Amino acid sequence: MIDRALLLAHAVLGFAALFAGTHHAAYAVLSALERPRLRALRRFMWIAPAAMVAQAICGLAIYPAYRLRVRAMDFDLNAPALVRLFELKEHLAALAVALVIGASLAGGCDRSRQARWPIAALSCAGAAFLWAAALIGLYVTARHPL
Amino acid sequence: MTRAAGAGICAFALAYLLADALHLPVLVYDPATGVVTTSRMPSGLQMRYFGDLLLASTAGLGSAALFGRLPSRIPVAVPAWTALVLVALDALYYLYRLAGF
Repeated sequence: MIDRALLLAHAVLGFAALFAGTHHAAYAVLSALERPRLRALRRFMWIAPAAMVAQAICGLAIYPAYRLRVRAMDFDLNAPALVRLFELKEHLAALAVALVIGASLAGGCDRSRQARWPIAALSCAGAAFLWAAALIGLYVTARHPL
Repeated sequence: MTRAAGAGICAFALAYLLADALHLPVLVYDPATGVVTTSRMPSGLQMRYFGDLLLASTAGLGSAALFGRLPSRIPVAVPAWTALVLVALDALYYLYRLAGF
């Protein structure tokens, strides 16, 4: 029961992180294109990292239950390709956490012109990894939820 | 700040990749027994994901804190683009593993 509640929280917070990361990437690119969105970048400086950390905590909390009830009892026996796909999702999510938090904090604090494109690139990479992780996570959960 | 963030992401990506590729000893958790130990090669149901994350996060935060305090003449783009290259290497490594090699 608690695991399913955590799975739902992981999904909702995951979408919050996904859209916060995507918005940050869009604002960072606009800033790099000489249309600065300083207020938005300052706002997403805390929204994106907070959503990322919250969804990561929920995901880590249900990972042992996935390992026991989904992977060991189903995927290892019937769908080994899904095991590798889920592992790819976990690695992409870990890299996305670092990229989104780093780009968000840099975008909110650094006003220099030469930092705009590097921040936009880091933020876009983080958003792309987040989208990949979210889609893989949805696919795996559709095959076998907790 | 962007230099520190780039350095932090570089260290995170490098530590995360090396921990797995070189089988560095990390904390592993056994969800069946609830026991946490240190191991290079998890067996059975043991999970090393938490340990890899802990190692990479420590490296990333430490590197960002160190780089943020040091005066640097390195252009801001260098750590950021280096971070992207390292992250891309990580992604390629895990895609290669996904293919089952």
